[in-house]
Amino acid sequence: MHIPDGYLSPSTCAVLWGTAAPFWYIAGKRVRATLHTLMVPLLSIFAAFSFVVMMFNLPLPGGTTGHAVGVGIATVVLGPWAAMSAISVALVIQALFFGDGGITAIGANCFNMAVAGSLVAWAVYRLACRGAPIGSTRRVLGAGFAGYTAINVSALCAAIEFGIQPMLFRDSLGAPLYAPYPLHVAIPAMLIGHLTFAGLAEFVIAAGIVAWLQRADPQLLCATAPDAPDAAEPTRPDRERPLWPSIRRFWIAIAILTILTPLGILAVGNAWGEWSPQDFSNSTTRREIQAASRNTEAPAHAPRGLERLSKLWTAPLSRYSPAFIRSASFGYLASAMVGVGIIIICGLALNWALGRFRPAEFRRRPPRRTGFVEKTLHTLVRAAQRALFADEMARADGFLQRRDARVNLAGLGALIVAAVGVRRLDALLALLALGMLLALVSRVSIGFLATRVWLAVLGFTGALAAPAVFLTPGTQLAHMPVLHWAVTEQGLRAAAFLILRAATAATFACLLVLCTLWTHLLRALRFFRTPLVAVALIGMTWRYIFLFLRAAEDMFQARQARLVGALEGAARRRLAAASAGVLLNRSIQLSNEVHLAMQARGFRGEIRTLGDDRLRGGEFLYGAGFLAAAAAAVWLGR
Amino acid sequence: MSDFAFEAREVGYSYDDVRALGAISLRIRRGERIALLGANGSGKSTLLRLLAGLCFPQRGSISFFGEPLTDERLRDDAFFFSFRRRVGLVFQNPDVQLFNPAVYDELAFGPLQLGWPKAQIRRCVEEMLEQMGIAHLRDRAPHRLSGGEKKRVALASVLILQPEVLLLDEPAAGLDPGSQGQIVNLLASWKNSGRTVITATHDMDTLEEIADRCCVFEDGRIAAEASPLDVLHDLPLLERTNLLRPHAHRHAAGMPHPHPHVHRHEPE
Repeated sequence: MHIPDGYLSPSTCAVLWGTAAPFWYIAGKRVRATLHTLMVPLLSIFAAFSFVVMMFNLPLPGGTTGHAVGVGIATVVLGPWAAMSAISVALVIQALFFGDGGITAIGANCFNMAVAGSLVAWAVYRLACRGAPIGSTRRVLGAGFAGYTAINVSALCAAIEFGIQPMLFRDSLGAPLYAPYPLHVAIPAMLIGHLTFAGLAEFVIAAGIVAWLQRADPQLLCATAPDAPDAAEPTRPDRERPLWPSIRRFWIAIAILTILTPLGILAVGNAWGEWSPQDFSNSTTRREIQAASRNTEAPAHAPRGLERLSKLWTAPLSRYSPAFIRSASFGYLASAMVGVGIIIICGLALNWALGRFRPAEFRRRPPRRTGFVEKTLHTLVRAAQRALFADEMARADGFLQRRDARVNLAGLGALIVAAVGVRRLDALLALLALGMLLALVSRVSIGFLATRVWLAVLGFTGALAAPAVFLTPGTQLAHMPVLHWAVTEQGLRAAAFLILRAATAATFACLLVLCTLWTHLLRALRFFRTPLVAVALIGMTWRYIFLFLRAAEDMFQARQARLVGALEGAARRRLAAASAGVLLNRSIQLSNEVHLAMQARGFRGEIRTLGDDRLRGGEFLYGAGFLAAAAAAVWLGR
Repeated sequence: MSDFAFEAREVGYSYDDVRALGAISLRIRRGERIALLGANGSGKSTLLRLLAGLCFPQRGSISFFGEPLTDERLRDDAFFFSFRRRVGLVFQNPDVQLFNPAVYDELAFGPLQLGWPKAQIRRCVEEMLEQMGIAHLRDRAPHRLSGGEKKRVALASVLILQPEVLLLDEPAAGLDPGSQGQIVNLLASWKNSGRTVITATHDMDTLEEIADRCCVFEDGRIAAEASPLDVLHDLPLLERTNLLRPHAHRHAAGMPHPHPHVHRHEPE
């Protein structure tokens, strides 16, 4: 339903910009007036939600795709004005950054989906649920129906805008200048999809979330339902209850949805009315266009006005597929993350900007909870202990610890390269087994590797690899029960490969760091002709981190000792902000002093160690062994 | 060669807008043991850093055995290494001084940087570990030692270079009396050893043992220069420079006075 540039004449666009503008103005004023409530955070949540929901393309009858908008639920929770703002924000970001919907058509798209959508949803919801209790089924159905109606009205508006183009704007030969299809084609083409699947999706989203909120957080439903008999006095959440718990659940949901976005490109085909100019000259896409438009033949080439206007703006992440990411699904996921990130930043900026003018009595009181200062402290202590632990492990008597740092660096480095390079699963497994063997003879416990390395790898890579299981085409092994996604053999292999590869490389890297003394490692880097500046920088950074950790630990402990009882959150944050500054200052100072102390004992940037500079013959053998193992893995696993 | 280890002429130094040293002029003879006295923040540590060539005077000049001590001069490798070999500085905060993973490496750091032969370094480190009574700490991580142990390791890490000139910033501050005693004994043993020792301190009790001459600092300038005994008897000076806590105590009749210190008996 995102009308691209070129499908509407400039004059149509201007009219729709003009129509949307007063609504934006009123919405801005209304939102501003209710800022003391949860509004701003909720606003960014629903903007993000709408953004992500619109990326889930559903296959529609006629070979096109469509999506829900999220306007129903946004209106039911936020009211029409704030919902209008939230969805407009999502649409503007989509147009500017992702080329979904045109720049000239922002007015039109916002009018259709944000303005008309939320006003209709509001009217339907209020009418359908007049006097219904907050917890009633009527509210659930009313919200769903509001969403369903709203998205269809939006689609109808878009269809009318498309349909009047060929009536009004034609060139001298009578060929349409902009959108080519008249009303009797555009309206059925748009509405069939939205009356069925997309509308249904919108219904389910709105009804489902309302049903969930009725149990989880009924207060959020009260603001828009003053006529409900059991509505609590619309409280100012800012003053009377914690903000974070209810909001956190929303953000978690959005994070999960974001991770799932690659599913949105499973639906093949284009949305009706969102074809690119080239699609008109390609025979395959022409057939698709024709099938979707009641078998009306598509124009032989793209309408001239359309072609001209469509070049107006090239979005940086056009069509949610960043040029630098090869995999379509990963690009889609990355785009979703970027979009949500932009919305969060906008929300924070807005909150900050408006918060400065907010009267003090409205500033929300933070909830009582374990402060992040304490949490930070624990993290710091753990990190410091781990650093110490690593040093002790490097002093233990084990196989890798006895090797020369240069042998470790070259050998394990080669093995890491091999782990990245091999193409066969059995070679990768052999490398992982070698890593475990090395860990065993170097007294690094497998349990440590499992919890510190493999679990982390699984967490990070697993999330990336999971969609590959479904998205890779190939021999189907099984089906997900409800969703009918096919699990393919190739997909499973790809996912297993990614995870194993990462785990193997991480194991070798971890062994290198754990089993080599830091100073020797730096020295070895120098031996391999790493520039002095780089090595000095790494060394300084390490020391700096270490000092920072120690200074932080001391400071927080000193502060803890002086604190009696719990602090208010605001005071806690102020304290933390202030101490972060002091801490940084202090550790920079300490770091400078240490540098002076090193200088005073003759340090000139070059790190020297007591270890013998010459490689003993045995060490050569071990180094050659490592390199041979790596080469063999690459050769056999090619 | 000049007979003065250091000659400072009208030296001034400020940190941003805080003046640390006004215009200090000071001559330190070769082999002299001198104490820089003064309250916290009176400029002692700054002077030590200037003398160690870690920062450079913004006004005035410093020379080391007749040679000017400047940034440019220290960029010359030959001078840098000979200067670092001859002058050792022990920082007040041992955490600053100890940055190596183990005590053994800490001691070896200086000689390694100055490019001594490895065999000699190993021998010297062993000797120094024995001499300072820290052999049992050899493989411990310096940042996990106790305060007294840290100080001894810091001192050892500088002494191993056998510097002719030793700059000490509050070497015994914050230690228990036993550890303090060990350090003071070490300092006292250098009397007439030919080694130039410059100690910043505000510990009056040990003054006579560690110094032949005292400079009293007050707000970034030298308020007095005298022998330890004279300084200890100049009660108005000591009180003015925050070096003395006026207090009264009694000694039981006939009790000998075991600790050398000044005190004042207020009229009862």
